[in-house]
Amino acid sequence: MSGLRNDAPDDVDLGRVWISVAAQVWRRQPGWLERTAGRLLRSPGLARALLTTPSLLLPWLLTSVVVLAAGAAATTDIGQPLVALLAPAVAAAAIAYSYGPGIDPAWELACSMAVSDRMVLLVRALAVFAVNAVLGLAASAVSAVSVSGPANGTAAAVTFGWLIPMTAVCAFALAVATVARSANAGAAAGVAAWLIIVLSGRVASGHFASAVTDTVLFLPYLAIGAGCVTVALCATRIPRGTL
Amino acid sequence: MNVEITDLTRRFGRNQAVAGVSLQAGPGVFGLLGPNGAGKTTLLRMMATVIPPTTGRLRLLDRDPATYGPRREVRRRLGYLPQNLGYYPGFTVAEFVEYFALLKEMPAARVPAAVATAVERVDLGGKAKAKLRTLSGGMLRRVGIAQAIVNEPELLLLDEPTAGLDPEQRVHFRALLRELGQRATVVVSTHLVEDVGAACTQVALMDQGRVVFDGTPGELTARGTEQGTGDAPLERGYTAVLAAARA
Repeated sequence: MSGLRNDAPDDVDLGRVWISVAAQVWRRQPGWLERTAGRLLRSPGLARALLTTPSLLLPWLLTSVVVLAAGAAATTDIGQPLVALLAPAVAAAAIAYSYGPGIDPAWELACSMAVSDRMVLLVRALAVFAVNAVLGLAASAVSAVSVSGPANGTAAAVTFGWLIPMTAVCAFALAVATVARSANAGAAAGVAAWLIIVLSGRVASGHFASAVTDTVLFLPYLAIGAGCVTVALCATRIPRGTL
Repeated sequence: MNVEITDLTRRFGRNQAVAGVSLQAGPGVFGLLGPNGAGKTTLLRMMATVIPPTTGRLRLLDRDPATYGPRREVRRRLGYLPQNLGYYPGFTVAEFVEYFALLKEMPAARVPAAVATAVERVDLGGKAKAKLRTLSGGMLRRVGIAQAIVNEPELLLLDEPTAGLDPEQRVHFRALLRELGQRATVVVSTHLVEDVGAACTQVALMDQGRVVFDGTPGELTARGTEQGTGDAPLERGYTAVLAAARA
């Protein structure tokens, strides 16, 4: 600014003019997805962090690949429900660890921001599951139309029998991580909860796979997921009157 | 008072990084001096709400940052430059500053002008569209300062802000510090005694996790008239106070 020649009229503030010009020239135009997310989340900062943070993009893709690959592997006829049983725990740990120091170079700065890092994590996890659930539903529809025989309904089985329990376990992990302020605590709680569910199913029905095959459990899984999201939102809400 | 610290401690395992610090600071530039490992960075990280204290009382901008709502409000009014600035190499200068303006929950409509003002204040207007990976160390430091001041913070915490700046930029930066200190509380952690003498209205000297001196730069200088060592009066005060604390 010091380089500007001050030969303008006295009532013109060249500094102010330049800042206005620079603000327009340097302004970044957010894409439609970021604008939509900003409106839905009521936070442009959260939308920006969710969609454009470089250190979030790779974990986002990796988590999606893990989710879908584990789901596909779980449906292959290997004679054991091991993959289906372990996959939710793997996903819970992956999400709890996929955002933090060592992964995000600006983590130290992010920890001092008004948009909570845990809120970013929670929203991101929900977004990953929402995307994967949509993909699963699309695959279910396609397979229902084009595939006959035993394979028919496999994608639906993945979506409803695997994504739902995984969503519940991960929501629980995120709620614990949010309340305890520790990704380690969240991951441990998620894994422990899944082990308890699997072992309880074994005791009740006599076989391990009941945790992922028993349709009666779908509703409790959804309730757990919704409850944990509520806990996390309550833990990060702003008390009325403090802002 | 914008900063009220009472008997603050922070422990990392067996290491007591901060051992019972009490300080108060209002508007102005507050210098935090001390040797390596004195606890300056840990104290600053607690003030930046990055890590919680182990024990003690911390109030920032008349709020208790231990609870979520007040902490979020403090963070909206906070500027923080960490000792090691992590950055995204693919971001431009303007994008990086804008990113943190949004994370500080500035109203979106105000962000473009605030970004332009902050970038110009650190004299990086000519590099606003340059990728961070193409900048020198000193320029990256100035980008860090720009993101810290983009929200016109009421509490500005700067950890070694002049590291990597050339002499001309340091002079420019000290003038910016004095300007910011007119209405905000600016806490500057530094090894460079001359920065404190040129810009600070109050100074604290830390050693082994404790504050061993709290006063004005003039008072620190006066402590070095008899037994301190160093080339400048303030340096002699610094060394004299440290020697007395360790005796």
